[in-house]
Amino acid sequence: MNLDALVPDYVRCFEAYIPSRPDHLLMREYGAPFLHRLNNNENPLGPPPAAARAIASFPPELAAVYPSGDSYDLRQALGLRLGISPGRILVGNGSCEVISSVIKAFCRAGDTIVTADKTFAVYEWVAEFSGIQARLVPLRDFAFDPQGMLDRIDGRTKILFVCNPNNPTGSWWTRQVLVDFLEKVGDDRIVVVDEAYCEFVEDGDYPDAVGLMERFPNVVAFRTFSKMYALAGLRSGYLVGTEEVVDVVRRTSIAYSVNIQAQRAALAALSDDAGHIAATRALVREGRAYLRRVCDELELETVGGEGNYLMIKVPINDMLMYRRLMKRGMMVRSMTGFRYPGWIRVTLKEVPVMESFGEALGEEIRAIRAGGRTA
Amino acid sequence: MQQIHAKKSAVIRIPFRAPFLPLAMEFADKGARGFGYGDREAGGLVLAVEELFSFYEPRATVGSTVEIEMEDQGFRLALSISFHAANPDLRAFNLTWRVSHDSEDSLDTLGPMIAARSVSSLRLDFGGDEMVVIRMTRDREYPPAGAVPLLPPDVAKSVRLSDPSPDDLRHFAAMATTSCAPFLPSFLAKPGMAADMLATGHLHAVLALAGDWIAGGLLWRPLTDTCIELYGPYLFCDDPDDRTLTLLLDEAVGRISRSRSRGLLRRQGPLAGHERFFDFLGELEMAGISGHAARSVYYYRQLREESGGVVYCSARLAAFLHEQYDRLCLPRQVRETHGETALSRDASVLAVELDYPRFLAVIRPLCAGRDMAANLAGHLDLLRDEGILNFIVEINTGRGEDTAFADALAETGFVPRLLIPDAGQGDLVIYDHAEGNALS
Repeated sequence: MNLDALVPDYVRCFEAYIPSRPDHLLMREYGAPFLHRLNNNENPLGPPPAAARAIASFPPELAAVYPSGDSYDLRQALGLRLGISPGRILVGNGSCEVISSVIKAFCRAGDTIVTADKTFAVYEWVAEFSGIQARLVPLRDFAFDPQGMLDRIDGRTKILFVCNPNNPTGSWWTRQVLVDFLEKVGDDRIVVVDEAYCEFVEDGDYPDAVGLMERFPNVVAFRTFSKMYALAGLRSGYLVGTEEVVDVVRRTSIAYSVNIQAQRAALAALSDDAGHIAATRALVREGRAYLRRVCDELELETVGGEGNYLMIKVPINDMLMYRRLMKRGMMVRSMTGFRYPGWIRVTLKEVPVMESFGEALGEEIRAIRAGGRTA
Repeated sequence: MQQIHAKKSAVIRIPFRAPFLPLAMEFADKGARGFGYGDREAGGLVLAVEELFSFYEPRATVGSTVEIEMEDQGFRLALSISFHAANPDLRAFNLTWRVSHDSEDSLDTLGPMIAARSVSSLRLDFGGDEMVVIRMTRDREYPPAGAVPLLPPDVAKSVRLSDPSPDDLRHFAAMATTSCAPFLPSFLAKPGMAADMLATGHLHAVLALAGDWIAGGLLWRPLTDTCIELYGPYLFCDDPDDRTLTLLLDEAVGRISRSRSRGLLRRQGPLAGHERFFDFLGELEMAGISGHAARSVYYYRQLREESGGVVYCSARLAAFLHEQYDRLCLPRQVRETHGETALSRDASVLAVELDYPRFLAVIRPLCAGRDMAANLAGHLDLLRDEGILNFIVEINTGRGEDTAFADALAETGFVPRLLIPDAGQGDLVIYDHAEGNALS
């Protein structure tokens, strides 16, 4: 078989993402007695109680039945929650799937998207392996640069992706910044506002992209049940747009991609989230304050705004720091893949875990400064 | 977006029989000229094809075919010859191979020896079903760099980064040569080659500009399928607080971080503030003709999350590997073997890359065999006679043919000095010679 002739150049040149290996293999390879997963911004509290009950009581006979192909009940509940028609909501197998659907719906090979160089990589990846150029704008002071993005728009630009708050820096645009940006973009292009971490933001100046759609019908918002709602293992996310935009995106979406367990759990989570969100926010606040204090004492620079993560600048190559911490059972995210060499990103978890991490980090930093293993 | 360069290649598959030799030679000649190369490049490849075809055709599997592929890489032609042969005789690829005029058998091996010397590089690969692939390259001829003016002292101090055009890089290469920068790779000494490599995607670069002047630059290119090598930064101006150096490294590492490679290697002199970017792997000292020694410091960073691995090797190499893997926190399983690979073949084969300006020979095992220690010793004697002062042996931990050399290396005075993760098929162990290099 002549694969070269079959595979488009933009697929041949794309390097597939290789996920981390399962925890039990990593623990064995690194000789780690335990593993704290501080790499994927998971919520240690687990799902809201009603969602946990829905998962625990899943009737096995339902596994034999196809789920709702368009997550009907979940969209009804989301519509009620957001005060919009369910027809403006499209649920996908995690927000990665809806990213792909939006790009497929609006872009053809040769078109461009605009986003930041140091942000959630999936916008760029989906574009690249679809033959669409990702025009990347450097962050300014660790935040998306609105003017820089506007400057990168060209005649083939179809979509602009704004991660708000940004993963990994936690920076976010205020309502005023977003509105100014949308006015300047105009209505000839789609603006995606990825709000995967919106439930973590407590500041009243944080914009609600869904609320802006009446004025800016080219806005699409992404949200997820993976982060605040702790349903990452079930994969469920959604987008919100105008009826017209969603009608187009629906054509490139996969029906039946959200499994029945995910739909039931997400539905239950929505019904019982007030206490869960408050508890998670408190946990994140506490974890962030603790970790910042540790880093200050160790004289390590940190960057973090909203979201359940904190970036730490380490005095050695981040990939080596990842491996050193793995040996101690601490799995962080090295930032090389985010184009932040020399930084790690740490998920904020409950204080006892943060204390263990702080202790491990402190010992490593002191060993490095004393001319330890890396010298 | 990754730059995509269409592959420019031509390929023929013909019966591996003597009457087809002229067609194979004609293919090499017309192909080289068709891709715009001259007499010298075409002639070298035609000679190599003629000698290899003639030597292996009688030894190939009966009724089999040979495939010859030529690829124009802009700055060089790459030619591969693939065929099927059981237990092929590869001894003549050794630099030490000498033809005896009294022996028919020995005279017969003159062909591969000539072929190996008529190209710029040669590599052997073995596949399943007795497949042998001989890969050769022949560089385009380029003039050496001429002197160019360097940065005047009164130019603007603020520096910005820029993606160079091939012409920019040609000029940069001439500046690097004029400035007598240490550890200059051979392609920078030939600015036309550097420009062609950039134009065809075989080299990448970012330059630092001060006003209209090139103030410095950093280059990188694939060393292997899994590892990128970084060259520089080369700076032509004062750099208080290493600002330009850090700017260049941040930009380059950021760009490289989403490449296909697993690792990034730098093996030049010491690098200020390397800790933020690289793991320190070790250093080698290289003797010079006047007794002056230069330090080659090896730095490395992984670009992908570690994914483990298994190494089969003898106890002697295992001890070194355990120490290195522990120091670098690399999870690997080291499983000890007892030389079974080495015993399967009489003659071992070594490839040698010579770097005369540095009096350096890099030796790479191609095949293990029962004569490994004698073969290594023979290479050392010959290379010393040719004025070589420094010897490096590279061993792939993922290749049994390589790790089988561990005991023979120890017997002949080679010492493992450092390990480069993921730089070959598995990791790459670098040996130097206890008596050969400046460390002694």
